[in-house]
Amino acid sequence: MIDLIRKLVELYGPSGFEDQVRAFIQAEIAPYADEMRVDALGNLIALKKGDGTGKRVLVSAHTDEIGVMITHVTEKGFLRFTNIGGVFAANLLGGRVQFADGRQGVIYGDKFEDRSKLHPLNKYYIDVGATSKEDCPVRVGDAAGFYRPLLVMGDRLAAKSMDDRIGCVVGIEALKRLTASPHDVYFVFSVQEEVGLRGAAAAANGLHPDVSIALDVTGSGDTPECHPMAISLGQGTAIKVKDGGMIAHAGLVRLMRQRAEAANIPHQMEVLEGGTTDAYAMQVAGPGSISGCISIPCRYIHSASEMVDINDVEACIRLLGEILTHPIDL
Amino acid sequence: MDVKQLLQTLTETPGPSGQESPIAQAVTTAWTPYVDLLMTDALGNLIGLKKGDGEAPRPRILLAAHMDEIALLVTQVLAYPDENGYGFLKVTKVGGVDTRQTLGQQVLVHGQRELPGVIGCLPPHLLPENRRSKPIGFEDMVVDVGLPYVELKQLVGVGDFVSFRQPLRELHNGRVAGKSLDNRASVAAVTVCLDWLRGRKHSWDVIAVATTQEEIGLRGAFVAAGGQQPDLAIALDVTWAKGPLAQDGGLTFELGEGPTLGYGPNIHPGIYKGLQEAAAAIELKVTPEGQPTLSGTDAAALQIARAGIPTGLICIPQRYMHTMVETMALNDIERTGRLLAEFIARLDGDFLNQLNKSLMDG
Repeated sequence: MIDLIRKLVELYGPSGFEDQVRAFIQAEIAPYADEMRVDALGNLIALKKGDGTGKRVLVSAHTDEIGVMITHVTEKGFLRFTNIGGVFAANLLGGRVQFADGRQGVIYGDKFEDRSKLHPLNKYYIDVGATSKEDCPVRVGDAAGFYRPLLVMGDRLAAKSMDDRIGCVVGIEALKRLTASPHDVYFVFSVQEEVGLRGAAAAANGLHPDVSIALDVTGSGDTPECHPMAISLGQGTAIKVKDGGMIAHAGLVRLMRQRAEAANIPHQMEVLEGGTTDAYAMQVAGPGSISGCISIPCRYIHSASEMVDINDVEACIRLLGEILTHPIDL
Repeated sequence: MDVKQLLQTLTETPGPSGQESPIAQAVTTAWTPYVDLLMTDALGNLIGLKKGDGEAPRPRILLAAHMDEIALLVTQVLAYPDENGYGFLKVTKVGGVDTRQTLGQQVLVHGQRELPGVIGCLPPHLLPENRRSKPIGFEDMVVDVGLPYVELKQLVGVGDFVSFRQPLRELHNGRVAGKSLDNRASVAAVTVCLDWLRGRKHSWDVIAVATTQEEIGLRGAFVAAGGQQPDLAIALDVTWAKGPLAQDGGLTFELGEGPTLGYGPNIHPGIYKGLQEAAAAIELKVTPEGQPTLSGTDAAALQIARAGIPTGLICIPQRYMHTMVETMALNDIERTGRLLAEFIARLDGDFLNQLNKSLMDG
């Protein structure tokens, strides 16, 4: 699984430019899906058919990552940029980005008058080694993702775009292990989550699921002087009750908890005070769906070193498996 | 119908956004005598169908009154002084809870069983001088149910809901004060409407919906409209009432002087006009309420659900909104129900055509 994680997190895929991630997942899951297609927004939708007695279940993990888009190339060949999704200036200085063609660049900022204050995003730039506008290989409108290879520290893994490639890993592994299910399960590897849950909304409107489950990262409260939160890395899968956008279906939350308890899967209840997931959009798409989220506890979200614990990832895969292989009567 | 009795039941029943099943049960009891069919959907909306006597297929009007209420949610279970001592809960908001008035409230903790509790903080004597006159934030409040930590941890966990407790009080002059009159007062008004419709012919099907999750972003109404596919919709909610502390003519409305009719981009002018005509026909006083932008009520979601739904808005004036002493006039609630019934009874086969035409003609 580490190998799968490494490949996924190191791929390029800012929101709207998820092709490389989609192509990789498509090849990875082809032997396991009964049907596969790509919709108008670029969502990859893989169906694993049930035995006809269950529900229509949509499981969504987003393929896109936060990144930047070039807005201006200076005469000397430096690139000004805007954000794609929730980019925090504090994570930028000295970082590296990669473009769709694999080209990399480094990020730095204008002179700091006061080093205790951050610049706004428009005072940072990317240096791709160009000496002038003419020899700069990057154009306005090109998108870049952050670049950072996977770091393995025992059970703890750090990389850019754990949010939400680690959710994709949970989906892919659950699909691979799913031999039989009462449910028709649509695994959606969604696009454009970081810019407003746009892929999942379209997918749910098209698929009309009875039940929708997002797989995404959540924060933790186990680092120095952080915002208090009753989630710790290594303590198991997080069952979402509420986040900044939505309240999960109470019956589905209960069911997840019961399944986790019955199968002895370590779990924690999640109340996330800011941020939301694909479940927010899927809950109210069309006539609505019973919606919830299985979360992977994660430190340093939206930095280039998002950190998860491999045991929590395994717990998420197992919980999703328990839900998909049993009846969902709500 | 005894509206005060109904309001007492409705306001004293818990129903935090996302956990509306207790209040849905109470509304089920209230609506069962009046509707042909009751059902729920994926978001827990309670949907009552009262069939019209027109020829099928009949046009459908959806009435949306949200039944959820602002509440709290457990974020941490604390031990003091250690795990052999007592247990306390830290909480966060569900919906627009006014932090300034949360301190000192009585609550019900919905754990493995229901536990009565209180919200406490340091007394002024123990606060630093410069903080005594400032509101207390959630970081400085705890919920105390009086249980030892070990027992509390067995019964309550992160993610459990905490609802406010407050009995309905009757004030003078037909006024009542309590919690969740936003928007159980509108649920009561819909009930009054259904009661009136028992004695009236109406050709349209009426879909009465007690919506969920309004307080966290109008989510129930959006889904109800998506599932029920009505031809038109009316949202009912509360608005700000005048008083010594609130005299702004544009934003506030007299208590006890009847409901307001919303108008503006969020509201279909044809429905606004239809409601005015219905009010005039029964000589019921209504006040126009300008909604220069989205109304912040279920009407905002209903209007753009599906391919768009012509939507109206009726609001009932209320003082002290989002506190435990929301204050309203019983006769405003009764009149709102009466007006709604009159509007529905007047709907005929041609109403939708006229509605569309009214926009074309400007």
